[in-house]
Amino acid sequence: MTLNYGLLDWKLVGAALALSLIGILLIMSAQYYADSTFQQNYYLRQLLWLGIALAVFALVVHLPLRLFDFTAPLLYSVSILLLILVLFLGTARMGALRWFSFGPVNFAPSDFAKVALIIVLARFFAYTKLSVMSTRRLGISGLLTLIPVALILKQPDLGTSLVFFVILFTLWFWSGLSPLYMLLIVSPLISLVAASHWLAWSIYIAVLIVFLLLFRPGFVFSFLTVVANLAFGIITPFMWGRLADYQRLRILTFLNPGLDPRGAGYQIIQSKIAIGSGGILGKGFLSGSQTRLDFVPEPHTDFIFSVLGEEFGLWGSLLVVLLFAFIFFRIVRIAVRCRSKFASLLVMGAGSIFVFQFLVNTGMTLGFMPVTGLPLPFVSYGGTSLVLSWTLIGFIVAADYRWQEY
Amino acid sequence: MERFKLSLAGREKISYMIILIICLVLLFGLIKLQIVEHRDLAIQSENNRIRVVPIIPRRGLVTDREDRIIIDNRPSYTLSVVPAEEARGTTLPNLAELLNLDTLEIRNRIKKNLVSRYQPSTVKRDIPFEVVAILEEQSKRFPGVTYHMEQVRQYRPELGVEVVTGYVGEVSEEELKRPGSQGYRLGSLTGKKGLEKQYDKLLRGREGTAYIEVTASGQILGEYQERRPVPATPGTNLTLTIDNDLQLACTQALDTFCCGAVVAIDPRNGEILAMTSYPTYDANMFSSVIPESTWQEISSDTTHPLLNRPIKGLYPPGSTVKFVAVGAALEEGMISPNATLKPCPGGMQFGNRFFRCWQPSGHGTLAAAGSLEQSCDVFLYQVGLKLGVDLLSEYYDRCGFGHRTEVDLPNEDPGLNPNSGWYDNHYGVNKWTSALVLNNAIGQGELLATPLQLTLFFCGLANGGVVYQPHIVKKITHAFGGELEVTPRIAFTLPFSPPTMEVLREGLRLVVEGEHGTARRLRNDLYSVGGKTGTAQNPHGEDHSWFVGVAPLEDPEIVVCAIVENAGHGSDVAAPLVGQIIRTYMEKKLHLEPITMTGEASRP
Repeated sequence: MTLNYGLLDWKLVGAALALSLIGILLIMSAQYYADSTFQQNYYLRQLLWLGIALAVFALVVHLPLRLFDFTAPLLYSVSILLLILVLFLGTARMGALRWFSFGPVNFAPSDFAKVALIIVLARFFAYTKLSVMSTRRLGISGLLTLIPVALILKQPDLGTSLVFFVILFTLWFWSGLSPLYMLLIVSPLISLVAASHWLAWSIYIAVLIVFLLLFRPGFVFSFLTVVANLAFGIITPFMWGRLADYQRLRILTFLNPGLDPRGAGYQIIQSKIAIGSGGILGKGFLSGSQTRLDFVPEPHTDFIFSVLGEEFGLWGSLLVVLLFAFIFFRIVRIAVRCRSKFASLLVMGAGSIFVFQFLVNTGMTLGFMPVTGLPLPFVSYGGTSLVLSWTLIGFIVAADYRWQEY
Repeated sequence: MERFKLSLAGREKISYMIILIICLVLLFGLIKLQIVEHRDLAIQSENNRIRVVPIIPRRGLVTDREDRIIIDNRPSYTLSVVPAEEARGTTLPNLAELLNLDTLEIRNRIKKNLVSRYQPSTVKRDIPFEVVAILEEQSKRFPGVTYHMEQVRQYRPELGVEVVTGYVGEVSEEELKRPGSQGYRLGSLTGKKGLEKQYDKLLRGREGTAYIEVTASGQILGEYQERRPVPATPGTNLTLTIDNDLQLACTQALDTFCCGAVVAIDPRNGEILAMTSYPTYDANMFSSVIPESTWQEISSDTTHPLLNRPIKGLYPPGSTVKFVAVGAALEEGMISPNATLKPCPGGMQFGNRFFRCWQPSGHGTLAAAGSLEQSCDVFLYQVGLKLGVDLLSEYYDRCGFGHRTEVDLPNEDPGLNPNSGWYDNHYGVNKWTSALVLNNAIGQGELLATPLQLTLFFCGLANGGVVYQPHIVKKITHAFGGELEVTPRIAFTLPFSPPTMEVLREGLRLVVEGEHGTARRLRNDLYSVGGKTGTAQNPHGEDHSWFVGVAPLEDPEIVVCAIVENAGHGSDVAAPLVGQIIRTYMEKKLHLEPITMTGEASRP
C-alpha cells in the first residue's frame, strides 16, 4: 500500500520523536555515573528500541485501520490469554508477575492488552445499536474492561489497571455518555472514602439523593446507584476493621505516601528536592546530584521527569509539557475530524493512555499524585512502553491520514 | 434521557478543557517547586549529598623524662556495622560467634553509637587481625559489616605506671551531658583516668572536618570539591617527670608482695620520678570494650587492682609521721632538743588504759632525735599529751595532711586529719577523751594519709622545710612546635624553724646511721641515706609496712616512700624495698653499673 507521505501528520510525529530523543538524553544522564557499564548503556538500548518502535509505527501506518477493526475480537482474546499465561509463566520481578522474559527482552502483556481493549471497545461502541445510556451497553463494555483489570490486579499492578478504567471512561465519554452519568457510576467509590466518618457519609448520601432527584437519570439506574452507595458505605467500616495492620498501612500509604517517609514518601520528597533544586535554568546536563547520587529512585524509568527538572530546570520541563500538550490537542482534533466512528474512538482511546500516564507520572514526581509506577510515555526507559507509545501514534497518524474514510 | 447525550462539539470542548487544566496544574506545580521553593530545596539537595565527617587527630604521645615512650599509638582495626545493609538473622548471629559477644550486646552497641542507618556504627575497637582475615574471606556471611583502621593507645604494662597514665574509653552519655563537653561526640574517645583524663583536652588535639560526597545509600564517592576540609590539630605531646628506669625498679620491687604502693619525688622541684600501685591493671585492655565477665573479675578482686593507692589509698601513716609531733613540741617550746622525757619502760599508763611501746623491753631515757631514731612510742605519747588534739592537728594540717596535694592527676583523696571539731561531730561532744591524742601522735587512730602526702612531707624535711608542688608533667610540646616547660613552684613550707629542722634532720639520719636506728640495714659506703620506718596497725589484718627514705642525705635528690600492705614491720619489708629503689637511682646517677634494667632504646 503506497501512501502520500506528504499528507502524514509530521508535526505530531516530530513532537513524539522530540520527546523520545529527550528521553534518551535523560536516560543517559540518569545512569551516567552508574556502577556497571550495563546501566550506563541503558540509553543505547533505548536508542535501539526507538528504532524498533519507529519500524512498528511505520508498519501500523501502512496497514488499513479496518484490519484492526475486523481482528478486534481475536486481538482481545489473545491479550486475555497472555494475561492469564503471565500469571503462570511470567518472570517475577519486584514481587509482581508482570513480564514474559525472552532473553534480554521483557514483554509486559498488559501493554498489549491496553491496545487490545481500545480496539475492542472502539469496535463495540462504533457498531452497537444499543442506546448510549442503556444498562446493557454499560454492562458489556464494563465487563470487557473488568476481565483484563481483574487479571492485572492479580499480578498485582494497581497503577496499570487504572489505565484500563481510564480507557473505558474516555470511550464512554467520546461515544456520548455525559460526565454527570459517569460521576454517578463512580459514586460508590466516593461513598467508600466518605464512609470513614459517619457524618461525612450521611451528608454525602443526602447530596447524592438530591442530585438524583434533580437530574432524574432513570428509576432503575438511580435505584442501583443509591443501593450501591449504601452498600459500600455500610460494608467499608466492617471490612476496614477486619484488615490486618499491614494491609491498612498499605492502603493508607497509597492514599498518603507521606505516612511512610522511608518508602514511597521518601522517593517523592527526593524527587521534589531534585526538581526544585533545578530552579529555572537547571543544574546542567549530567550535573544533577540528586539523580546522580541515587537519591531519586529509578531515575531512568518512573522518575525520569525529576532528572529533567533537576538538570534542565523550569524551561526544560516546560518544553516537555508543551510538547505533550501539543500532542494531546492534536489527538483531540484528529478524533473530531475522523469520519469513521471506530477510528475516532481508537484515536481518543490512544490519547487517553498518553494523557493519563503523563498526568500520573509527572504528578507523582511533583508530589501531588501517589507512586503508581506508570512510566512517562516516550520519555521513560523501557522497550515495550516505547513500542506501545509509537504503535498508538501509528494508529493516530493512520486515522488522520484516512480521516475521510467511513 | 437525551439530555445526557453530548454533542461532538461539546465533547471536543470538554476534552480541550481537561487537557488545559492538566497542563496548568503541572505548570503550577513546576513553578511552586522551581521558583517559590527553589531556595529551600536547593539547600536540601546540597545537604543530601554532603556529609560532614570528623577527622580524628593523633592523640598526643607521652614520654618519660628522657623521652622514652610511656604511651604510644598503634594502628588497629575497628569493626562497625552499617544498619541499613545488615541482613536480619544473618549478620548479628554470625558476628556474635566471631567476636564471642552476645547478639543483644552487639545490637545495643550499634544503637548506642548510631549516627544514621547508612553510617557505620562502631561495635568493637581493636579487633585481632585474624578476625579481619575472616571478615575478608567470608564477607558474604557478614553483610553490612565493615572495618577501618584507627589509632589506639598502646600502654606499657611492664612499667606499672597506670596510676599515672590512666586509660581512654568511649565517652559516656553522662559525660556528654556535663558542661564543657563540646567537641565530644558519641563514640569519641576520652580519658577516663589518670593523666589521660587530666590532660584530655591537650592530648586529644582538635578534630578536623572533612566534607565528603555520598550517595543516598551512604556510599562514599570522595571529597566534596567545593568546600575545603578543616585539618585536624594533632594532640599535644607530654613529657613526664617519670624516670622509666626508676619506675620499673619500683614495680619490680613490689612484685613479690600482695599489695602496696611506691612514690618517688625529687624534693628539689616536686617532680614525681616514679609512682606505682600494686597490683595494677593492663590499660591496653580498655582499648576495646572489655567483656562484662572480665569487668566483674577486676572490680570484685579483693586486691583492688583499680585502686590508685598513691593518691587514693588511705592508710594510717604510723611512726613515719612522728616527726610532726616532735617538731611541733620543739617549735612550741614544750621540749628542748637535748632534754629527755620520762624513760620508756615498754609502755605508759594513761587513765585506765596501758599504752604500749612497740618495743616491749622499753627504750629507756631518750631525747628528741633519739626518739625518732628508735621510734619510741612512749616519748611520742608524752609529746602528744603536751600538745593536745587540736594543736597537733594544726601541725598535721600545716605539714600537708588532711588536704589534697593538688598533684596534676584526677580524683585525689584528701585523707583525714581529725581535730576536736571532727571528734565532736563523729563521736558526739564530750563522748571522747584526750587519750585519742596518744594515737594521733604515733600516726595511728583516725589519722589517714595517702602515700603521696607522706612523701611530700618528707620532701619538706629533706629540702629544709620547703615543699614543692608535686607534678607529673615536665614539658608540654605542641604539635606545631612550641614547648612549655613546667617550672617548679613552692606549694607550702613546713611550720618548723631551722633549729627544729636540724633536730628532725638528725632524727632522719639516725634512723639509718644511728646505733639503734630502725633501718640500719640501709647503711652503705657509697651514699648516705636517711628515712623513717613505720608499722601501721590496721583493724583489717596484719600491720602495714612503711618506709620513707631520703638520699643522699647531705643534699637530698630523691625521697622514696613505700607501703606494703599487711606485710609487718617497716624495718623488715618496706625499708629494704626503698633501699633497693634508692640504690637503683644512685647507681644510675653515679654510673656505678651500666643500667640494663629496661633495655630500651630512647626515641629519637
